[in-house]
Amino acid sequence: METALLRMSDVSKSFGATHALSCVSLEARGGEVLALIGENGAGKSTLMKILSGAIAPDSGQMELAGARYAPKGPHDARMAGVAMIYQELNLAPDLSVAENVMLGQELRRFGLVRRSAGHTRVRQALELLGRTDLSLDLPVRQLSVADQQVVEIARALVIEAKLIVFDEPTSSLTQHDVDNLFRVIGKLKASGLAIIYISHFLEEIRRIADRYTVLRDGSVAGSGMLAGASEGDIVALMVGRKVDDLFPSVPHTPGKVVLSLQSLAGRTTPKDVSFELRRGEILGIAGLVGAGRTELLRCVFALDPVRNGTVRVMGITPGGTPRARILAGLGLVSEDRKGEGLAQRESIADNITYSRLAPYSTLGWLNLRQRRAVVGDWMRSLNVKARSVEQNVEQLSGGNQQKVALARVLHQDAEVLLLDEPTRGIDVGTKSEIYRLMAVLAAEGKAIIFVSSYFTELLSVCDRVGVMARGRLREIRPAGAWSSASILTSALGVETST
Amino acid sequence: MTSFDTPAALPLAQRGTQLLRTALGPFVALVLVVGVFAVADNLQEDGGHFATLKNAQNVFVHSATVAVAALGMTMIIISGGIDLSAGTTMALCAIVLAWFLREGYPPSVAVTAGLGTGCLAGFVNGTLISLLRVVPFIVTLGTMTIYLGLGKMISHSTMVRPLPAQIPAWMHELLSPRVQQEWMVFPPGVWLLLALAVTVSAMLRYTVFGRHVFAIGSNESTARLCGIHVPFTRIAVYTIAGFFVGVAGLYQFARLTIGDPTSGTGKELPVIAAVVIGGGSLSGGRGSIVGTLTGALIMQVISSGCTSLKQPNHIQEIIVGVIIVAAVTIDQIRQRRLAP
Amino acid sequence: MHRYALSGLLILLVAACDRAGESASSLRTDAHSGNKTLRIAVIPKGTTHVFWKSVHAGALKAAQELGRVEIQWKGALLENDREGQINVVQDFVAQAVDGIVLAPLDSTALVPAVVQAREAGIPTVIFDSGLADESVTVSYVATDNYNGGAIAAREIGNRLDGKGNVILLRYNVGSESTEQRERGFLETMRKEFPGIKMLSDDQYSGTTPLEAQNKALELCNQFGDKLDGFFSVCEPNTMGVLGALEQEGLAGKVKFVGFDPGPQLVQALADKKIHGLVLQDPVAMGYESVKTLVAHLRGEKVQKRIPTGEIMATPENMNDPQIKKLLDPEQAN
Repeated sequence: METALLRMSDVSKSFGATHALSCVSLEARGGEVLALIGENGAGKSTLMKILSGAIAPDSGQMELAGARYAPKGPHDARMAGVAMIYQELNLAPDLSVAENVMLGQELRRFGLVRRSAGHTRVRQALELLGRTDLSLDLPVRQLSVADQQVVEIARALVIEAKLIVFDEPTSSLTQHDVDNLFRVIGKLKASGLAIIYISHFLEEIRRIADRYTVLRDGSVAGSGMLAGASEGDIVALMVGRKVDDLFPSVPHTPGKVVLSLQSLAGRTTPKDVSFELRRGEILGIAGLVGAGRTELLRCVFALDPVRNGTVRVMGITPGGTPRARILAGLGLVSEDRKGEGLAQRESIADNITYSRLAPYSTLGWLNLRQRRAVVGDWMRSLNVKARSVEQNVEQLSGGNQQKVALARVLHQDAEVLLLDEPTRGIDVGTKSEIYRLMAVLAAEGKAIIFVSSYFTELLSVCDRVGVMARGRLREIRPAGAWSSASILTSALGVETST
Repeated sequence: MTSFDTPAALPLAQRGTQLLRTALGPFVALVLVVGVFAVADNLQEDGGHFATLKNAQNVFVHSATVAVAALGMTMIIISGGIDLSAGTTMALCAIVLAWFLREGYPPSVAVTAGLGTGCLAGFVNGTLISLLRVVPFIVTLGTMTIYLGLGKMISHSTMVRPLPAQIPAWMHELLSPRVQQEWMVFPPGVWLLLALAVTVSAMLRYTVFGRHVFAIGSNESTARLCGIHVPFTRIAVYTIAGFFVGVAGLYQFARLTIGDPTSGTGKELPVIAAVVIGGGSLSGGRGSIVGTLTGALIMQVISSGCTSLKQPNHIQEIIVGVIIVAAVTIDQIRQRRLAP
Repeated sequence: MHRYALSGLLILLVAACDRAGESASSLRTDAHSGNKTLRIAVIPKGTTHVFWKSVHAGALKAAQELGRVEIQWKGALLENDREGQINVVQDFVAQAVDGIVLAPLDSTALVPAVVQAREAGIPTVIFDSGLADESVTVSYVATDNYNGGAIAAREIGNRLDGKGNVILLRYNVGSESTEQRERGFLETMRKEFPGIKMLSDDQYSGTTPLEAQNKALELCNQFGDKLDGFFSVCEPNTMGVLGALEQEGLAGKVKFVGFDPGPQLVQALADKKIHGLVLQDPVAMGYESVKTLVAHLRGEKVQKRIPTGEIMATPENMNDPQIKKLLDPEQAN
């Protein structure tokens, strides 16, 4: 067995009173892919930042290729041979492919950039990645996200990286592009580089990684060879408890139809979507990124223009503005908490009551005391952890922010809840609370549409699950009639047949 | 429930510190600037004129025009916008007011026309921004010269000079540092400014409309998601701000007693500076009326202080510039510290 | 919050730094004498034009000669900002200066401020431009602007032998002194040179040389082929017209008379691109204003109207010692 290329021993880092990492040790070897697994908040991003030189550890040692590795900054780390491929790509959109790859590494003579020599280097890198088809002079802006990622990887090759760290690289890729990416990673591995692959999609990890290290609450929960580990073992390591406890069951039974869509179509997606939703029912919508699930919810909520079809809520067709949909009894929790879901700089009280200020208003003037009391009640009932109702939302953790977003649709007394990825980027404990909340709400007679990319939670929480692909709702079946595999087949099915 | 105390128990202390953080920062700066100048003035041999009631009256009177326009600008900046046309609109309103007086209309009609012009100008700004979906900076950059042109058109590029008899006495008194009734301390225009400031401040904090202004400035997408009528709110903000610019036009006319088409050119900058010094964020969502008033006063105190210390204009300009950059920098540092 | 303290300290620092230069800028004589030093505020229309620097020099000279007089020189922050000038006057009233010397930006807008000064016991001497209500001022020290316009009209009229086409480019609306020049020019032309036709007399140049140049170019484009004479009524205006005439190749051909000197204008006069410059005496204006005000403060009787004279400089007479002094007047720094 080869020796480790990167060895971290007993690395710790605290921010104030929080121990982001405590005594983490791991090894990455040349010609191997190490999967770094963990829920959000487990310490993955802190570990990344330490590796990339963005922050320094409080204690602990790092070794790279046998030498001490203590980068003073990101540039230092790159020079030492550690390259990062982030979720958000770091490219200059108006520069060409070649210029981006050589950015900061321009070959110079007499102060002038030697373009042709640079192009040769870029071509070599792309050749290694099997992507000689990319035009070197094309502005990066015109490339797909997947191709931009290839440019980033090529950049790592040009600096002769020894270790490449991928941070959830597939989160914005289609299945086809994921396959391509995995082929590229395979080539990198074959050429002897060490790779750390951060993700929490276990299916992916199984396809690409050789070994795994699981982080939980800032410590290593376990590590080993993937070949010998079952999915259940790894999930148990991630969440620190048995999977069954994650999905509390509250019995609920569907009642009358409350929402019905008839041939609903948006500008590009969704296409011709029809279904009915009953009180007390949780309908899951599964699908791959780009399948049109978010757009479906936005069309129902009149945030996106509707080209065709009708939306009926409790038998009537509401007006075509979000305001009218709110009054009709719909409530939407956005997938994008920062950009859309919450006004980050405003208080919890404001964020919860924005969609329904009427109860506190007399001729437009607000009774803030009354509002504070009501908001306080909501925070207690959803167990939002915050200093006060006046605290700004941006200071809360992801999970508490999500609870505030949920509290808003509950406060506005929505009958139909449209939840778009409500458990994305939050800790396991909060996830479990949200699952329970959904079940309780259904039991109270609310209807819920639950969009998620995590099939396990859909199957455990929903009464029925529909699968979307290419903007169409393929089929809806009772949750019991699906498995993760059959959902994936259905979600992929359309793509392969066209 | 561990870290969450009951909302009834905490808010008082909480609100106290929050106020301390937002409004009191610039206020402390004001006290400091006043203190520094007062001490320096007392040290010079023929000094002692800075920390006087007379000078305080001057400072308030001189900052009133900028401050009243800045009330509206605060709302606009909180809503995530900007109004570069505030200066020339101010002059336009003064021109319209002067024109009506000169043509022999009663003062009430002239004042209404002046304020109406401000509202209309603001309404046009808001509507263009909402309908054309062009950023406020560009739209108001355009209307800035449009309103300047309109002012020159109405005035035939000259001064509009109503006869002294056509200008009512109260307009002379509005911002005269010679206060008629001594118990009033400040002329009526200053009290009107303070009353308007209290009203706007309360409106921003205690009304549905005020919350909506913060919402669209903080995150327009969230506002849409919550069913807030964004274009309506935005047009209303610009229209109300236009009203305050109209009041500023009235103030300017009251001091000059003439309508001067160029008197507003460049005046939008101190107005915006007042909001920024007072803690307003040009990216929207933050700003306070107390801060803005303080900002306007700080600039005027520096001006008056430099006169009493016999400092030339360039020193005054440099200090104001330093204060603006310092205020924004401090604000950003504070933001970064608050971020998790 | 302590960072605000930091910025406060900074202000103190900037102010302190400049106090070193203060003694030079505000001339204080006879500090040892037990008698009270008179503080005189001098408020120009602007602070950047050469003309005002010469006024400043004159004021300082008077203060030095008189003794126990301190000059506080301050203009509005923005040029042509009437409201700003009112602020400056009111600030000086609050400072309880002993007297004010003011060149009003507007003949009516500044009246209330001067009245306020008078009520506070502070007398005001007006210079350069008049005030609508002369009863509230001590004296008016100025060029006879009407006569300045008249001698310009005679210079052009004589050089054109009483016939030809002439343009008058006005300065800015509401500026009393230039309006007087414009009136003097037009009335004299009409009366004494009936053979001369005004091609344009209703255009305003604006306050900067650049604006003036653009306006003059427009006029040249419109009338260039039949243009014989040009009168511009003040220094920035004359600079702009000179630039326009040079650009159009008309410099030297068109009989061009301007107002007030400047290095480039004097050079152009020597090159015969300008045929006449009406000269005022800004140094005398500052000097006489301060002298008059101090005399008034010391209980002497002063004249209500003090002319400082105006004279025509031409390429022919520009080397006479008296003219030479006025073409390059001394300046305060």
